[in-house]
Amino acid sequence: MGYFDVPEIDYTRYTDRQLAAVPLAVLGVALLVLAGSFLLFGTPVQLGMDFAGGTELTVQTTTPEEDIPEAFDEDPESVQAVASPDAENQYIVQFTSTEQEALSEQAEANLEPDGDASVIQQVSSTSASFGQQTQQTALLGIAVAFLGMSVLAFLLFRTFVPSIAIVASAFSDMVIPLAFMSLAGIPLSLGTVAALLMLIGYSVDSDILLNNHILRRSGDFYESTNRAMQTGVTMTVTSMMAMLVMGTAAWIFGVELLASIGIILFVGLAADLMNTYMLNLSLLRWYKFHGVRS
Amino acid sequence: MNPIAFVKEYWRILLLTLFVTAALVALFAPGGVMDDDTLVEDENETVEDNPTNLEYGLGLDGGTRISAPPTGMTADIDIEPGEEREVETTLYEELGIDSSDGIVRYHEDDNRFTAEVFDGDVTPGEFAAALQEAGVDVDEDDVNDGVTQQTRDEMINTIDLRINEAGLSGGNAYQEATVGDGYYIVTEVPGMSPGELRDLLTERGDVQIVAYHPDENGTQTNETVLEGEEFDNVGSASYDDRRDQNYVPVTVDNTEDEDGNSPASEYQAAMNEYGFTSDGMGQCTIHDRETGEFDFDPDNPQWCLLTVVDDEVVDAHSMSPDLGQSMADGTWENDPTFQMIVPTQQDAHQLSVNLQSGALTAPLDFSSEQTYSLEPALADQFKFYSLIIGVLSVLTVSGMVYLRYSDPRVAAPMVLTALAEVVILLGFAALIRMPLDLSHVAGFIAVVGTGVDDLIIIADEVMDEGDVNSQRVFESRFRKAFWVIGAAAATTIIALSPLAVLSLGDLRGFAIITILGVLIGVLITRPAYGDILQRLLTDK
Repeated sequence: MGYFDVPEIDYTRYTDRQLAAVPLAVLGVALLVLAGSFLLFGTPVQLGMDFAGGTELTVQTTTPEEDIPEAFDEDPESVQAVASPDAENQYIVQFTSTEQEALSEQAEANLEPDGDASVIQQVSSTSASFGQQTQQTALLGIAVAFLGMSVLAFLLFRTFVPSIAIVASAFSDMVIPLAFMSLAGIPLSLGTVAALLMLIGYSVDSDILLNNHILRRSGDFYESTNRAMQTGVTMTVTSMMAMLVMGTAAWIFGVELLASIGIILFVGLAADLMNTYMLNLSLLRWYKFHGVRS
Repeated sequence: MNPIAFVKEYWRILLLTLFVTAALVALFAPGGVMDDDTLVEDENETVEDNPTNLEYGLGLDGGTRISAPPTGMTADIDIEPGEEREVETTLYEELGIDSSDGIVRYHEDDNRFTAEVFDGDVTPGEFAAALQEAGVDVDEDDVNDGVTQQTRDEMINTIDLRINEAGLSGGNAYQEATVGDGYYIVTEVPGMSPGELRDLLTERGDVQIVAYHPDENGTQTNETVLEGEEFDNVGSASYDDRRDQNYVPVTVDNTEDEDGNSPASEYQAAMNEYGFTSDGMGQCTIHDRETGEFDFDPDNPQWCLLTVVDDEVVDAHSMSPDLGQSMADGTWENDPTFQMIVPTQQDAHQLSVNLQSGALTAPLDFSSEQTYSLEPALADQFKFYSLIIGVLSVLTVSGMVYLRYSDPRVAAPMVLTALAEVVILLGFAALIRMPLDLSHVAGFIAVVGTGVDDLIIIADEVMDEGDVNSQRVFESRFRKAFWVIGAAAATTIIALSPLAVLSLGDLRGFAIITILGVLIGVLITRPAYGDILQRLLTDK
């Protein structure tokens, strides 16, 4: 009916095993990546400043980008230019040290001011022990959210297989973006934790929709599946596009919080498409045709 | 159609209209809806060209935030009422700490006593040993990290006072709980640099007047004669042209206790006893005002009054003849005022702030702090970017929806409904004066995302299997769609509720906005969209 139509997939051509194999393999690879990173670096995902501690300065200076590290006694972790249209000569400089005051002084002393603007536009500094606290709090938050979602899934459907299908694909929806972060070198920050929690909410939407169509409606399995997909894929793709645009725009403007939320949600929603319509679907089909014995 | 039937049929749309109107009023009505306190604040805010009643937080307005836990440890102790002083004194002696670094409190609400020590160098073992020395039965395991709620409340009060005295509005201090039973004290001040705020928080602000005088044997000794809390009335930093002096005018407390003594009378007695008002008048030469240095190994006997802030001598001066005379006569205590002289205007200002706000009960532990600071110029950019990012996201969503349905009758109300949700949320934020930050912007975008998801579910469900030609068919389909939406909303709320409660800085705003948005969506806007769609599709 529109320019963008959801393709109908002929699920009869694939067995449950074949369907489930792909998302499970991807999940396996993701877990391997996280385990490997854990063995190599001690954490599954690189921890950002919010969790590991450190200092980040946003400076406005006419000093060329390559000379910025020389202004500081300590080598910066990274120097990134902010590419937004009306913010020339803005750079985000990150350090592992938490000597926020010393670093600010060095910046003010050694970087050329850009007109009347203050050299230091933004400072954020977290000590290691504060980061440790935040990390525990964030882990607790994710655990509680996941548990709450699982309990709710069971309450909604009151049968084991459909509920566990939702929980499994939500789990995979979170693990795959985490592995992506690990590979792409995106550090775990408060923004990404928010995105992971949002993913629980978003990803369960399409799973509930699919389960609802298949289990609570009359009609042929494949017909129900197709109807659910029409709606569900539209939903997820729309959200993906919104997140992609938000993530890209925010990244260009140097608004990190929004950038990380956008990018992680985009990857997570892509993983959700696969998990919902392959993993969840195969579990449901098995349940519908073989699982219900009465 | 009679009015009752009209309301009955369109109540969902009416409700939406009502909420959007209310939100617009809250957003744009000059002065805001709750105008009691706006009048006061508007005096210094009218210059801002803020077209809405929205308030912005640190992340969109600039300023500095420092979070740090208080230093200290506490132990519950089992003592009889009236023994507090005794235990306190033993603590000071055993641990060799100042009287400001330890306190025994009685907690009325649950009838218990606690002892606290605010010195980072004291170990829990030493603390427990000192308490045992005072006859209290505790061991190391009974000692907890952190300070009592009263101490934190006092600290927050002091910090609030200091921010206000620095002449900055809009700042505030609050506490935030961490996992476990730790607490952070968070201070936010717009328009202050991290260095300035750090100074304001590092200063313990413990002011003492110490009498530096020869004892019976002629050796110089120190005696604390006045402490911060014994001042009754503290003026602001002042300057005396005639004598070229910076000073703070102060009044010493002269309320008498049951023995007829007051801090003022005790101070006066001490001054007379130590000879400040007789031999010692004008006899203080240890302070070289040119270099600002002190010579504590003088040749002649010295009678100096030292102004000590946080164990550091700020100034030393002698008793002035006028003041000394009135003390010798014993009349000073009836009008116990004097001027505390300090070297610079900066010192005078700080001294005044310290005396007025009182000492920070416990120092903050800056080894586990978090600092965030943003220049107002960059904050303005962020405001602008957030707007662009928001608009771009909405355009993307609209574009996708149009591509999918290619029917403006379905797509247009969908986008408008999603926007109505944001407007209602913004109105709500303006109404409760929630300071908006970047995280809230992320929340708004998330709301548009989940909102449109749900509208797609409604649209697909309602248009399922051909045209909707009767009210009954519509209602039943709408109810089916609503089950999914309700379930999805419940999971989003559950997933984000930990963030709304836990102290994860920026994320609380995101979670609160998203949860509110989902609630507004499910209860108000999404049902209304169903009604709009029905009108358009059934061609009534």
